[in-house]
Amino acid sequence: MTDRSSLASSCVEALIKRVLPEGGFSMFPGGGFRADATAWAVLALSLAPSVERATGVIENGRSRLAASQSEDGRVSVSPSDPGPFWPTSLAILAWHGSSKYAKHRVRATDFLLRTTGKHWEKTENSPLAHDTSIHGWPWNQDTHSWVEPTSLSILALRTAGVGGHKRVLEGVRMLMDRQLPSGGWNYGNTIAFGTELLPQADCTGIALNALAGEVPQSDVEISLRYLKTQVTRLRTPLSLGWGILGLGAWGRRPGQATSWIGECLARQDLSGVYDTTLVSLLLLALEGKRGLEHLFR
Amino acid sequence: MRERTFARDTEGWTRREVLSGALGAAVASAGVSFLSGCTRRAGTAEVFIAQVGSYESDIASVVLSGLKELGVTEEEIRGKRILLKPNLIEPRRGAEHVNTHPLVIRGTAECFLRKGASSVLVAEGPGHTRDSLLVLGESGLGEVLRDDRIPFVDLNYVSGYPVTNTSRLTRLPALTLPVTLREVDWVVSVAKMKTHHWAGVTLSMKNLFGVMPGIYYGWPKNVFHWEGIAQSIIDINEAVKPSFAIVDGVVGMEGDGPIMGTPKHAGVLVMGRNLTAVDATCARVMGIDPKKVSYLAAASRRFGPIGESRIRQLGEAIGSVRTEFSLLERIDAHKGLRMS
Repeated sequence: MTDRSSLASSCVEALIKRVLPEGGFSMFPGGGFRADATAWAVLALSLAPSVERATGVIENGRSRLAASQSEDGRVSVSPSDPGPFWPTSLAILAWHGSSKYAKHRVRATDFLLRTTGKHWEKTENSPLAHDTSIHGWPWNQDTHSWVEPTSLSILALRTAGVGGHKRVLEGVRMLMDRQLPSGGWNYGNTIAFGTELLPQADCTGIALNALAGEVPQSDVEISLRYLKTQVTRLRTPLSLGWGILGLGAWGRRPGQATSWIGECLARQDLSGVYDTTLVSLLLLALEGKRGLEHLFR
Repeated sequence: MRERTFARDTEGWTRREVLSGALGAAVASAGVSFLSGCTRRAGTAEVFIAQVGSYESDIASVVLSGLKELGVTEEEIRGKRILLKPNLIEPRRGAEHVNTHPLVIRGTAECFLRKGASSVLVAEGPGHTRDSLLVLGESGLGEVLRDDRIPFVDLNYVSGYPVTNTSRLTRLPALTLPVTLREVDWVVSVAKMKTHHWAGVTLSMKNLFGVMPGIYYGWPKNVFHWEGIAQSIIDINEAVKPSFAIVDGVVGMEGDGPIMGTPKHAGVLVMGRNLTAVDATCARVMGIDPKKVSYLAAASRRFGPIGESRIRQLGEAIGSVRTEFSLLERIDAHKGLRMS
């Protein structure tokens, strides 16, 4: 089974099994509500062009996300613990295209625009090479800004129509500062104690999605080359999914992408079923030939 | 074969200390903390050192011998659900010094099952990557777990439950633990013997950072860096209450650990019920003074002993396996750690 529509159908079928009767999605069949899983599933089901719209499921998912939004606009992993607010950017993406949730989206957008991580002026003898003063977004409040939450926030804010905001521009600058000298990104440290750290395909793919259209291709060419070598060999859903989307965002989607996604989905026989975020990511990688953001257009 | 030689080193050890150590171990295994928020003198403990020349050795037998020497009985293990917590930090192909070796996990799982455990699972929340499946694949652990039909739980994505932070060395009033911990009886830290550029060393206690779900604490688990690594190690160990530790020092890491350092063959597995004592012993094996490692100094006031006279060394003597792990001048956390 390697044709795109069959693979997409298998992803949709898997996602529908995680729909909760009260709205929203669980990570695995039989599990409880999770904001991150819900946002990813809504995103995948609403954006994939070849998927027949499961309108009720999508709307119920958006509604559940809205119900879990805090007064200040954030959407956290758990409503009882507001600290890990990183699903906020995912919720903005999931509410995209639905006027019913416009106010929720605005509140979440405002939250991201006024929120950042912990930052400080780098000292001369700092063991870290990156510029710690450039503001991005953290996973959790009162911590430093990192590559993945910053990339997702940039994507969310651009789709929300505030791509020109100074926070987005600074976030782009932060990502460029965190690009590894030898190419690619990891979670967000470049050189520590004089040693360059190693890149990771998933982080590289997500950063390249966020940077598409923001910087000249020559500035990220070294990372595109790194990512191309990785996706030919990696078959884990997170690395492959973001890898394909990252290359696609720069017009470099590999010709074998669909076949590789098929191989990746088939590996569930060995590794067990993928969680909702991973199935959603693969569905989006299957459909997003020019990266994640292009699906919103 | 030196791998199978487990000589006792009872020099300077009295019956009273043995009894005291056994009591300490019993208290620890019952999940009762020596300390809750105050400073108290730690008791004594036993630590077993086995020489293991390579990962091709019969590791299950080594671990079995260690359990026997440490007085871990079948009655204690029978019917218990065991969680093995390896150190899987980053995906690195062919780099056996980065992550706990798959064959150590296999041997440990086999040992606990032979002892009558009702189940063994492996669980980890890698600190530097969200792609745990990739770490499993690149480290070779995924293949071993599949072959042995041992389940793996990605703790980074598991929903959590709050527990009061009783030791409060950090400012965190509560910690969020993965629900998986509620479904097991024993947590066994199966760590790697490495130097660490922030903590000095990373051994069985620091390894428990990986229990804390990334969805709540991020990648890296930066909440704990801001709260202080040493303080966080204490709070997490107090909350998780691990029952046993095995440190893979067959090939460890020296220099710029925990990721970018170089392989160091120490040829040992170090194990015990008391993680503080295990880590102190590992430090000595590495040529590091445990009293100069800040988290161990703090742990010694709460969980167990780090003084050599209070740790009964079983198996190989430290002196026979000691090999200096290189420390780097440019790393502040390494300064002054070397044993005199």
